[in-house]
Amino acid sequence: MPRVLVVDDHAVIRRGVQGILSTYPEWDLCGEADNGQDAIRLAGELTPEVVIMDVSMPGMNGLEATRIIHDVLPETKVLLLTLHSSSEFVRSAFRAGARGYVLKSDAENELVRALNVVIGEGTYVSPAVDPRGVKESIFNNN
Amino acid sequence: MRILVADDHDIIRRGLKELLTSRSGWEVCAEAKTGREAVMLAEQLRPDVVVMDISMPDLNGLEAARKIRKSLPKTEILILTLHFSDQLVREIVEAGVRAYIMKSDADRDLVAAVEALANHRPFFTARAADMLLDGFVRPHAAPPDPDAVIRNRLTSREREIVQLLAEGKSSKEVAVSLGISVKTAETHRANIMRKLELHSVSELVRYAVRNQIIEA
Repeated sequence: MPRVLVVDDHAVIRRGVQGILSTYPEWDLCGEADNGQDAIRLAGELTPEVVIMDVSMPGMNGLEATRIIHDVLPETKVLLLTLHSSSEFVRSAFRAGARGYVLKSDAENELVRALNVVIGEGTYVSPAVDPRGVKESIFNNN
Repeated sequence: MRILVADDHDIIRRGLKELLTSRSGWEVCAEAKTGREAVMLAEQLRPDVVVMDISMPDLNGLEAARKIRKSLPKTEILILTLHFSDQLVREIVEAGVRAYIMKSDADRDLVAAVEALANHRPFFTARAADMLLDGFVRPHAAPPDPDAVIRNRLTSREREIVQLLAEGKSSKEVAVSLGISVKTAETHRANIMRKLELHSVSELVRYAVRNQIIEA
């Protein structure tokens, strides 16, 4: 049963992810963090299959935490959850080692689909993002 | 108790719903993605409390709050914002909203705020409460915010149109959205630009972002 760690500085978002996952018993929300440092520490302690990470957090931001988790725990997949839909952001996300990119505005519909794709070794990009700008960075990192 | 939740981000609506339904007897009777949907659903379902994000496309939370207060004076409203703004607090209070919290503090403040509203008591996040008290105690200390003075001269219809224009709609699209003639929409647009002393759409967008009518 795949385990998930959720990282976001806003509790209301963490609650939202918890709510969505509660209706999918095959996913186990094993922990939560509200900053990048704790995310890295908990990821090391709990070794979840997937980390759902917010990009903009005070202190260490989500991209930096993603880079570190990707280096230290290469088996752990990081799925970014964010407000930003620009291809530039998405490119940075994949360069940092993320496997998925989901927009907060459509997370209810997409989150579980994205989790299933990344756990199956695939990469997931929210359909709201123009894929053309992003393809090369995904392929270069796989 | 029946609560309507309005926010354009579905994950936030879900998070708010999780926080609210942790109280037994509290039910989220509907969810809205825009201010317009919120007004429509509120009028249909008459919830006890409306929990509303201030920035939503099409019609923002503040305008929606004004409309709801007009047609449903018994319905209490709570507004949530991402960023704190002194000016916004004044406007929120003037719109008849008696509870204001920041999204970042929702886990701590949401239930307490809705509880207060259920008892017809106000609830303001600490920083807002301080600010309001300051304004009450020394009403002449702060110079009037020029944006607010101008904004007060806009009609409610004009305020609605500011948001639609800032979102990139043409006069024709504004007309269709609001069910008015293109000529009327263009007249409103000209009046808005004149009253706000703006000379281009990008100035209008900057004005709208500055006043949290749209998100940056």
